[in-house]
Amino acid sequence: MLLEAKGVSKAFGSFFAVRNADLTVAEGEIIGLIGPNGAGKSTFFNCLAGDTIPTTGTVSLNGADLTRASPDLHARAGIGRTFQVPATFEDMTVLENVVVGAYLRHHHRAEARKKALDVLEITGLSRFADQRARVLGTPGRKRLEIARVLALEPRLMLLDEALAGLTPGEVQRAVELLRRIHGMGITLVIVEHIMEVIMTLAQRVIVFNQGHVIAHGKPEEVVQDEGVIQAYLGRNHGKRRGKS
Amino acid sequence: MKIGVPVLLLALLVYPFVLNDPFYHDIGVALLLAAISASAWNIVGGYAGQVSVGHGMFFGIGAYVPLLVYQHGAWPPVVGVPIGIVLSVLLAAAIGYPTFRLRGHYFSMATIAVAELIRIYVGTVDYLGAAIGLQGPAVGRGWWDLTFRGELPYYYIFLAVLAVLLYVTFEVQRSRFGSYLRSIRANERAAASLGVPVRQTKLKALMLSAAFTSVAGSLYSIKTGFIDPESGFGLLVSVQMLITAALGGAGTLFGPLVGALILVPLQAATNTWFGGSGSGLTYIIYGGIIVLLARFEPGGLYEFWHHISMRWRARHAA
Repeated sequence: MLLEAKGVSKAFGSFFAVRNADLTVAEGEIIGLIGPNGAGKSTFFNCLAGDTIPTTGTVSLNGADLTRASPDLHARAGIGRTFQVPATFEDMTVLENVVVGAYLRHHHRAEARKKALDVLEITGLSRFADQRARVLGTPGRKRLEIARVLALEPRLMLLDEALAGLTPGEVQRAVELLRRIHGMGITLVIVEHIMEVIMTLAQRVIVFNQGHVIAHGKPEEVVQDEGVIQAYLGRNHGKRRGKS
Repeated sequence: MKIGVPVLLLALLVYPFVLNDPFYHDIGVALLLAAISASAWNIVGGYAGQVSVGHGMFFGIGAYVPLLVYQHGAWPPVVGVPIGIVLSVLLAAAIGYPTFRLRGHYFSMATIAVAELIRIYVGTVDYLGAAIGLQGPAVGRGWWDLTFRGELPYYYIFLAVLAVLLYVTFEVQRSRFGSYLRSIRANERAAASLGVPVRQTKLKALMLSAAFTSVAGSLYSIKTGFIDPESGFGLLVSVQMLITAALGGAGTLFGPLVGALILVPLQAATNTWFGGSGSGLTYIIYGGIIVLLARFEPGGLYEFWHHISMRWRARHAA
């Protein structure tokens, strides 16, 4: 297994945001994490990325324990993540943003710059290279976050609502980009509310509700699950999908 | 900007000959010292965004040690410069190590508290000159005492130190370390997610900054031949570095120098116009600058210039 999270719980005082959650991700998979707002997806995500230390449970990558490791050690180990609210370095140029990530594997300036330029090409951001990140709109900033993570040359990419707030056309382009990234041999774990994206991309889906994993399995099985329909999708989900 | 830099450096080089008068030489030396101090602060306060409000502690250590080695060992004050650097770097590590574990303003609060503690403590220790302070050699025993009659030798020594500091900062800025510092300033959490060892990077920046601030303090005490707790460790020393860098543009290479070019002549002018009764004006000017920066341009004059040039370009492109 590439990533293995066992019995992960996170408590804030007496409140458990995540309770006893398990996740195994094999190399080359695309996993979707879904659930209503406040279900604990982002907290669980933060536990996987090293941003939050779980109260109980373990997280390991390729058998190496990362449970209490800092976020930068997670990045070194091969886990890259994006943020729900884009966390681009606003006053740095688009290229400089990506260079920060590229420095992880390329210590020399020229090599890091070359890597960053390659990544900008892949993500379609080359023409913005010398502009400050703050001039980009939401789609551009989300794309820049993905570019920065790509520059880390990760084995596993954690995407936290990377497609939220995009227009249907932009979502389409972002899905194409994610497919391309997956084609590069990078495993993806995606937190997403847009079910079409999950149904299109994910090979397995994990559903969270009130801190618990309430269902997991293939996307087409999960959307039929009575618990998932009640907690998250609603009765009209199938009809909406049918219309679209 | 590209033409501006050589012009600025050339102007600094010929300044003492153009305004060949002890009064202007004195202003020039004060300007360079302010630029060195603010540029040193800028490494951690500007590039890394870790606002130290107590950098006077490193300045004070750098200022005290040369006069201490002279007073108690009759050594040339310059011998104290490397000792001051080592002590400042150790103090920086001692402060940074615990406070950089935390995010937010803990570092700023710790620096102000430690600087004040040191200032008060130094004022009570006879060995350190207590509240009266320490004196350097009144007349130089040789060139190595660096006691000159005129201001001119100091001017060029200070200018050389500033040049070295700006070169080091330039190299830092274009290195991996510099890239990491700026990412930490922009968003610490995101920087860590990209493999930036946040705490270690901030600590290195603080230690480098402390080393150069210590040198600034040494230059000050060797030149004036006197130091007391207030002029070494005083809050105003720390605030002056911060304001000078912020006015010109914190986190930019020449911002602190530009800030010094404005602030130091301004101080000299108020001192000339109002004499001793105008000494309190410094605080009013600093307060005014803080308000103006906070309200209109937190990025300082550098950002102001950037915005104006962007607008100009946009207008002419249209």
